[in-house]
Amino acid sequence: MTRITLARIVIAVFTLLLLSVIVNARSMAQQPTDQCLVCHESIGDKPSRLFKHDIHLKKGITCAGCHGGDSSKDDMELAMNAKAGFIGVPRGDRISEVCAHCHADVSTMKSFGSSLRTDEYQLLRGSVHGKYATEGKQRIAQCTTCHGAHGIVSPKDPSSSVYPTRVVAKCASCHSNAAYMQAYNPALPVDQLEKYRTSVHGEKNAHGDAKVAECASCHGSHDIRPAKDAKSSVYSVNIPQTCATCHADAAYMKPYGIPTDQYEKYAKSVHGIALLEKHDTGAPACNSCHGNHGATPPGVQSISKVCGTCHALNAELFASSSHKKVFDERKIPECESCHSNHLVEHATRSLLGVATGATCARCHTPQDNSHGYTVAKEMRSLMDSLSEVDSSAGSVLSQAEQKGMEVSEATFKLRDARQALMESRTVVHSFDFGKFKTVVDKGLSTATASREEGDRAIHEYYVRRIGLGIATLFMTFLAVSLFLVIRRMERKK
Amino acid sequence: MDQRVPRSRWFTWLDQRLQLEDLLHFLRKKSVPRHRHSVWYYFGGVTLFLFLIQVVTGILLLLYYKGSEDLAFESIRFIMSKVEFGWLIRSIHSWSANLMILAALIHMFSVFFTRAYRFPRELTWLTGMLLFFLALGFGFSGYLLPWNELAFFATKVGTEIIGAVPGIGKPILEFLRGGSNVTGATLSRFFGFHAAVLPGVFTVILVAHLILVQRQGMSEPLGFQLQTENEAKTMPFFPNFLLRDLLLWLIVLNVLAILAVFFPWELGKKADPFASAPAGIQPEWYFLFMFQTLKLLPAKILAIDGEVVGIVAFGLAGILWTLVPFWDRKSSRGEQNRLLSYVGILVLMYIVVFTVLGYLM
Repeated sequence: MTRITLARIVIAVFTLLLLSVIVNARSMAQQPTDQCLVCHESIGDKPSRLFKHDIHLKKGITCAGCHGGDSSKDDMELAMNAKAGFIGVPRGDRISEVCAHCHADVSTMKSFGSSLRTDEYQLLRGSVHGKYATEGKQRIAQCTTCHGAHGIVSPKDPSSSVYPTRVVAKCASCHSNAAYMQAYNPALPVDQLEKYRTSVHGEKNAHGDAKVAECASCHGSHDIRPAKDAKSSVYSVNIPQTCATCHADAAYMKPYGIPTDQYEKYAKSVHGIALLEKHDTGAPACNSCHGNHGATPPGVQSISKVCGTCHALNAELFASSSHKKVFDERKIPECESCHSNHLVEHATRSLLGVATGATCARCHTPQDNSHGYTVAKEMRSLMDSLSEVDSSAGSVLSQAEQKGMEVSEATFKLRDARQALMESRTVVHSFDFGKFKTVVDKGLSTATASREEGDRAIHEYYVRRIGLGIATLFMTFLAVSLFLVIRRMERKK
Repeated sequence: MDQRVPRSRWFTWLDQRLQLEDLLHFLRKKSVPRHRHSVWYYFGGVTLFLFLIQVVTGILLLLYYKGSEDLAFESIRFIMSKVEFGWLIRSIHSWSANLMILAALIHMFSVFFTRAYRFPRELTWLTGMLLFFLALGFGFSGYLLPWNELAFFATKVGTEIIGAVPGIGKPILEFLRGGSNVTGATLSRFFGFHAAVLPGVFTVILVAHLILVQRQGMSEPLGFQLQTENEAKTMPFFPNFLLRDLLLWLIVLNVLAILAVFFPWELGKKADPFASAPAGIQPEWYFLFMFQTLKLLPAKILAIDGEVVGIVAFGLAGILWTLVPFWDRKSSRGEQNRLLSYVGILVLMYIVVFTVLGYLM
C-alpha cells in the first residue's frame, strides 16, 4: 500500500515537472529573440556579458529598449537602422531621459509588475547632482553613474552597485576624488569615506551589515541636496529627525542593544528646543557632538572637548579647576555629570548648591567633603541674591516706566547686572569662590543702584502728583478769587 | 472835569516818567462788545498766553538742549531724568505747543465765522494767518529736535511731501534738509529755525497783530451796530476783560500742569537713520488731515501725480483762505454771506473727518 502511494507521488511530481518544462519552452518560443544580444555575445563584448544578468533583460526588455532599433532582425543594417528608431549609445542627459522613458511612466512600470517610484528622474533633476557639469552640456550625474548601464540588478541584490554595503564605494568614486571634487566644490572635504570607516556605522557596514547607515541613509538617493539647503535631510534642523529614523525605531535598533530614546530626550533639551522649535541653526544637532561621517559616541575623556567647541570658556574654566583632576582620576564624564547628555536642560541656578535637584550635593555632603558643600551652598545663595535683586530692579523699573517716568538709563544699566548673572553662570565652572563672588558682587551693586533709581522714579511720580494737587489748589484759589473780584466789580457797576 | 482818581506815591512816581495815566485812560476807554459770540474773543488771548509759555519753557530747555545728531536725544533724556523739573518743562513745552495750535485754529475759525476779518481788519487777518503758518513751522521744526525714531521718519515723510511741490519743491527740500537726506545737518537747521529764525519773525508779526487789534478794537458781529444803545452791551477792556482773560489763562495753566503730570510727553527710541521706518509713522495731528488726503488720493489724476495734485490743491486752498477778506466783498459791505459759512463748515468737517480717519486707518 505504501509503495503504491509513493509510486503515485513520484509519477505526479514527474508529470508536473514535464508540464512546466513544456509550458516554459512554449513561452520562450513566443518571446522574440534579442538578435542584438546574440551577435554581441558572439563577439564577447562586456556590455552583452553584463546585460545577460540585467534585471531589464529578465523583464523582457531587449537592447532595443534603450538603444532603439529592431532587435528581432538578425540583419545588422535592419536592426541598427535609424528608421527603426536606433539611437546608438545615449550620451549625456539622453541617458537619463532613456531611463525615464519607462521609469517615469506609471503605466509602463505597472505593466512590468514594478512597484518602484516613478519620480526619481524628477528628484534627480532637482538634486545637487542634477546641476550642470562644469562643461555645461550635461548634468553632473546620470542614472548610470550610480546604477551602472548593462548589469543593473535590484538595489536589494548584494551585487548591486547601490546595495548598502557597496553604495559607499560608489559615492566615494567621485567624492573621494579631490581633483574631481575641486571642480564642483573645493570647500567640500573628500575624506568622508575615510571618516565613515572609523565610525560605528562604517565598521559594521564594512562587515556586511546592510542595516547600518550608509551615504544614502542620511543624504537620500535621488534627491540629494546640499547640507545648507533647508529641504535637505542633512540640513541642521532636519538632522535629528534623519538620525531618529533608525535610532528611535526600537524594533530596528533591537539587534544593536542601544537606547532609542535619544531623540525624545534631545527634543526636550535646551539644544533641541533651540534647533527644532526656534530653528536656531547655531544650536547643536546630533552630528555636532557625535560627528557626521565619523559618527561615534564621545568617550569620557572627550566629552568636555566636544561641549567645549561651543562652550569654550566653560570648558577652559573647568579644565583649570580643582574638579578636573578628580574627575579624571575617577573617570567621571565631565559636563555630562551635571548637565546630562541628550536631555541637556536650561542651566539655571537650581543646578548649583546643595538643595534638592542641585548637582553639587551628589558628591558633596556635610559629612563627606564638607568644604565643597559649604562653598556650593554659599555660591547658590549669592546667585539667588543677585537674581532676586535683578528681578526686583527690573520690576521696579518697569513699574516706573509704566507710570511714564524716564528710567531708560537705569534700565540700560541693569543690563550689566544681567550680564553679571550670566557671567556668574560661566565663572561657576572655575569652582573658585573668590572669582565667583567678585562677579556676583559687581552685578549686585549695579542691580541695587538700578533698583534705587527705579524707587526714586516711583517716589518722584507720587511727589509730582502731590505737587500737582497743591498747585491745582493754589490755582483754583486764585481763579475763584479772581472770579469773585470780577463779579463784585461788575455788580458795583 | 478831571476824572483821575488819587494814586499811590509809587504810581505817581512812575506816572511822572511813563505817562501811565494816559495808557490807563486809553485802556479804560476801550470796550469789548458783549453778545452771544463773545466767548470767541478769549481764544486770541489764550493763544498768546500759550505762546508766552512756549517762549519761557523754550528758553529753559535751551539751557540743556544740544542740537546735534549725537547729543540731541541724550540731552532731552538728561533733561527729563536728571534736571530738576526738566520733565515738567519739557512736557509743558510739548503740550503747550499742541494746545497753542488748537487755540490758534479755534481763534482763526471764530474770526472766519464771525466775519471779523472784514473791512477794516484785513491786515489783522493777514498777520494772524502768517502767525498761524509760523506756528505750524514751529511745530514741524520742533518735532524733529528730540531726534527720536518717530520724529526722524515723520520729518523724512514731511519734507518728501514738500519736495513733491512742482518746480520749487526740490530746492526747498534740499534747503530744509541741508542735503538730500535727513541727517544731523537737518537737525541743526531745524534747531536754528525753531529757536532763532521763527521766534524773531513771529515776535515782529505778533507785535504788529496786537497793535492792529488795539488800534481797531474788537470786531463787532454783523448787525451789532444796528442795535439800540440799550441792546448793544459792552464791557470795559480794562480791567473787566483783562481779568476774565487772566482767569482763563489760570485755568489753561492748570490744564497744562495736569496734562504734563498725567501724560508726560514720551521720548521714544533714538533715531537710527539706517533702520527701516517703524509702522504707523504719522505727522503731528494738525498735519494729519493733509497727510491722510495725500495717502487716499489715486496715484494718477489726469496723467498728473495724485500727490502733486493734492499739494497744489492744498496750496491754492491755503492762499484762497488767507485772502478771504479781499474776495468776500459781501461781508465787508455788512451783508450776511451764508454760502461762505457753509464753505467754512465744510472745511471744518473735512479737517475733523480726515484727522479722525488718519488716526483710525
